[in-house]
Order: sequence, then structure tokens, then C-alpha cells
Amino acid sequence: MRKRYRYLALEMASPLVAIAFAVLVGAVVMGAIGKNPVEVYRIMFTFAFRRLDSVGIILFGATPLVFSGLAVAISFRVGLFNIGVEGQYLIGTFLAALTGFALRGLPSFIHLPLVIAMAALGGLLWSLLPIYLKVRRGVHEVITTIMLNYIAFSLIHYLIADVFMDKQQGLMPGVGNPLIRLPKIAPSALMPRMHGFLALFGVDLPRHVYLNWFFPLGLLLAVAVHYLIWRTAFGYELRAVGHNPAAAEAAGIQPASVQTKAFLLSGLIAGMTGLSDLLSYFGYMDLDFPKGYGFTGIAVALMGKNSPLGIVLAALLFGFLSRGAEGVQTFAAVPMDTVVILQGVMILSIVVASAVMGRYIRRQERKEALGA
Amino acid sequence: MIVSELVASAIRMGLPVLLAALGAVYSERSGVVNIGLEGMMITGSFWGAVGAYYAGPLAGMALAVVASVLMALVHAGVSVTFRVDQIVSGVALNILAYGAARFSSITLFQKATMSPHVQGFTPISIPGLDQISWLKPLVSNVSPLVVVGLLLVPFSYWLIEKTVFGLRLRSVGENPLAADTLGLKVFHLRYAGVLLSGVLAGLAGAYLSVEHTGMYVEGMTQGKGYIALAAMIFGNWSPVGAMGAALLFGLAESLSFRVVESAVVPYQFIKMIPYVLTLVVLAGMLKRTTPPAADGIPYEREEA
Repeated sequence: MRKRYRYLALEMASPLVAIAFAVLVGAVVMGAIGKNPVEVYRIMFTFAFRRLDSVGIILFGATPLVFSGLAVAISFRVGLFNIGVEGQYLIGTFLAALTGFALRGLPSFIHLPLVIAMAALGGLLWSLLPIYLKVRRGVHEVITTIMLNYIAFSLIHYLIADVFMDKQQGLMPGVGNPLIRLPKIAPSALMPRMHGFLALFGVDLPRHVYLNWFFPLGLLLAVAVHYLIWRTAFGYELRAVGHNPAAAEAAGIQPASVQTKAFLLSGLIAGMTGLSDLLSYFGYMDLDFPKGYGFTGIAVALMGKNSPLGIVLAALLFGFLSRGAEGVQTFAAVPMDTVVILQGVMILSIVVASAVMGRYIRRQERKEALGA
Repeated sequence: MIVSELVASAIRMGLPVLLAALGAVYSERSGVVNIGLEGMMITGSFWGAVGAYYAGPLAGMALAVVASVLMALVHAGVSVTFRVDQIVSGVALNILAYGAARFSSITLFQKATMSPHVQGFTPISIPGLDQISWLKPLVSNVSPLVVVGLLLVPFSYWLIEKTVFGLRLRSVGENPLAADTLGLKVFHLRYAGVLLSGVLAGLAGAYLSVEHTGMYVEGMTQGKGYIALAAMIFGNWSPVGAMGAALLFGLAESLSFRVVESAVVPYQFIKMIPYVLTLVVLAGMLKRTTPPAADGIPYEREEA
């Protein structure tokens, strides 16, 4: 029994080893461009944790990553790689924006849920083709989802610039160019920020922080996904198929059906990734709407080892990294992009660390079994 | 005349896909899926521009290959030695390559998204053939890299199908256990396959920045690494097949530019053509193709 806990501790240690390794690589990179890594990391920490606005911005930054990380993790659980979260959330964001600006006069308690549902629907739609091709034609989902990402980029570009662009933008006469963006979303579809609620507890968030109710919603979703995976019959099938499709089939589970459901669920969650930005920060969708959450979601899922709790922690870590990067860019003139390198190194080292650790544990268990 | 011009432009457009797809053939015939091609191409396009900027096009090619092979080494280490899922490793590599290119670009050029203009190779004409009028667009003023790329197709065919090295490479991709039993070094051969794909993906990236555009621009690979994988699948894991598919994509791209000029269809839809074509090709053709039997499966030696 003591051994059990030791293995569990070892397994939990692998993300920490990965972080330590990435920090080390980051230090080498900073050393290479003539910066003192200790000083840079110190600035990163103090900037991120000594300021209240930073803490709020970290939570706001983590919000989309919780959604995209959970989306990626659900597909991972069933043995599929949803590299298409990127395209799925852009399509979802577009449908949400469309519903947000096209409908007027709805009460908020109808409009906001409707907009969220449309985002989920958009993600779901964009995941239909890859899973169909996977199940029916055996086409690898990684390639199809990547192609659909590029198709989504072009399609969104077309819809924003050529079809729905807001031509009535109020500009000061003679100043500025109109943005290539959709019309603004009706106030009834915007997600309120958490400032008022937090003020009840004496926390006074500055106005430039956009932390909103999608963050707690993301946490709730993480709890729901945890429940789904570990406490429901479908979750059991999901894990069985992910572990060994042939064995699952022999046990009377239909892998194709389980994979389809799981992948569509993944797309549905993916579709909501952009909402926190859309419905609180921007209020409209433009050509520069944040891209890359899908790819960071992969990193988050791997870092969090596909467990909802791990994903929330990993999303917070990534939120911290990008806020900290803003700090070091300003105060130590280290390019923010160092953080993307850190993320890449972290994923690689975490997958290596878990592979090595997993094998070590299996070997020890086998030895024990033979010895007993 | 029109036809040979179109073919010439299809070759120019398709060359990066061709080079990367040839690389994918080496990697996958040895049993390693290389989703990281895109990242290796990004790396090649950036460092190709750096080398060309400071010391000319040849140095660009060399630097691109070195940088891309280093990425390939990471992919081989993670997926062959540590037996991590090859897709995961490749995807991580792509993220890393993207960040590394931005970081290096800021450090070297003070700009994250582009390099200064660089000088490419002097275009060459093939003497004699360039006198024939209908061949002229194909054989005059072409990049030496185009010539090298096209020659690499028969060379790769010969190397993979006719040499002892090729036989060994294929056998670790088909049945690593049998190969191991016969005394072949499975890990070494898989490293060789992945590193060769790094060489070719590096060249593919450098062609884009040094020869095609004359500068590095962020995102210039536009998913060509993934399209190269699709081309390799479409080409049934063979060099000649990969060439056929790559030229098809090149043709689609060069046609799309002509359609843009006529402006009948919004250009965003024209931009989708290569990706839609890839989807159609994969959805329609996959049943006929046969990947190496052990492709994508990490090889584990029996552990005591």
C-alpha cells in the first residue's frame, strides 16, 4: 500500500520535472541573448503575483485555455487527437457573434445562453467531417482537422471582411480607418464581469481587468467533465475505447460510436473557447481575433495529463506564463515569445517524463507481482 | 506554350511540398510518422533566410538544413528513443518551432514576423534545351533547387528501393522485431529516416524564403508540411507517387493564382483550394494505399 502512494507521487512528479527542465532551457535561452535568467524569473514572479490586476489577468487568460484544454482532453481520452480545436472555436465564435449582433431586443437570460449554445453548435459542426471521415473512411483525424483549421481561417476571413463587415462604424471625422470587424454584439448577449461580485468580498479589481463569469463556468465544466469521465457509464466506455479499442469491442462496446460521441463533445466544448474574449473583452469579432488557443489547448491537456483538475492547473500556469512574459518584456526587454518556447519544451519534456516514469512504474509493479 | 508555362509554375509552387513529402517518405518508410514536418519547414524557412542574409543562398541552405535536422533530432529522440506517441511529439515540435522562429526573429532582426530581403541563387538555364521554344518556360531561368529537387526523386527511389540501406530502412518500418532479430539496429535506422526527413524539410523551408519569396515571413509555410504528409499518403509512400501528388497541389495553387486575377470567386475561397483538395484526396483515395506495417508504432525492445 505504501508502494501505491510512492508510485502516485512519482506520477505526479513528472509534470514538475518537466516544468523544471523547461525553466532550465528557458534560462539557457535567456543566457544566450545576454540576460540574467535569475533576474528575469524574479521579475516574472513579482510582476505576476505582487499585483492584483495581474492575478485577475492570469485568471482571464486561463479561461479560454480551460475550455480548449478540456476539449482536447476528451478526444485524447478516447484515443483521438483533436488538433482542430483552433478551427472549431473560430467557427463557434463567429456563430456566437452573429447571433449576438443580429438579434436585438431579447432579454439577457435568453440571449446570452442562446449565444453560448450557438458557439457550441459551431464547434460541433466543424468536428462532424473529421469524425465521419475517421470512422467511415479511416482518414487520420490529425490531417483532416488541420486542413479544416486552414479552411476555417479563410472562411472566417471571408465572412468578416466580405459579407458581414460593420460598415456603420462610428469614427471621429477624419481620424482612423474602419476596423475589419463584425457589428457590435447587443448588450443583452455580453457576459458580465466579476467585479461586482468580488467587491462583495472586498476585492477591488481594476477596470482594465476583464475577468468574467466564463472563468467559474469553465471550472464548473471541468467538474462536469470529471464526473462524466469517472462516474458515468459513457465515461467508462470512453476510457475503455481509449485504452484498447479491440478489447473494448470484444467487451461489447462499439468503438466507432463512442469515438463519434466523444469527438463531437470535444468539438462542442471547443466551440466555446473564444467566448470569454468575444463576450467580455472585444464585444465584436474582427480579423485579429485571438488565434492559437487550440494549439495551446493541446499543450494544456498534455501538461494536465488529460485530467480536468490538471487542466485547470495547467491553464493557470499558462495564464501566469503569458502575464509574466508581458512583465519581462516591459521590464527586462526579453521577447514575450520566450514563453512559447517554454511551452513547447514543457510539452516535450512532460511527454518524455511521463513515458519514462510510466515504464519505470510498470516494471516495478511487474517485479513485485513476480516476487509476491 | 501555355501548358508548359503552367507545368513550370506548378513545379515552382509544388517544390516545397515535393521536398517535404520526399522527406516524409524516408521517415515513414522507417516507421516514424512525422507531423513535425511543418515545424521543420518553419525552422528551415527562417534559418534559410538568416544564412542567405549574412552569407548568401548556399549558406542559407546549409543553415536551414542544420537547424531543421536539429529539430528532427528532437523528434527522433522523443519518439524513437523515449517511445512517446509520434503525433504528440510532432505537434509539440511544431509549437516549439513556431516560438523559436518568432524569438530568433526578434533577437536577430528586431521583428517577429519577417526578415529583411535576401538574395537567392542565380537562376540557371539548361543549355541546348532552352533553345526549343515550347520547352523554354520549363528549362530556362529555373532555380537550381528545382533541378536538385526533381533529381532527388529518382535518387530517393534508387536509395529506398535498390540499396542495402533502403532495404534495411524499409524492413524496420515493416517489421522492426524481425529486423532486430536479424541484427539490424532499429533505432539507428529510424533515426536515419527521421534525420533525412529533417534535411529535406529544411531545404523545403529554405526554398520558400530564399528562392520563392526572397525573405522570411511568419506563417509562410501555410500548412505545407501537413499537405506534404497528405501528398506522401496520396503517393502511396513512394518517391515517384509523392512527386505526382506534390505537382498536383502545385498545379492547384498556381491555377488558383490565375483565378484570383480573374476575380470571379472571392479570393478566400481560392486560398482554400489546396486544403480542400487534400481533404478530398484523403477521403477518396485512402483505401487504395498501404502504409508500412509498423508506421507510427514505437518499437520496444523486450525489457528484462
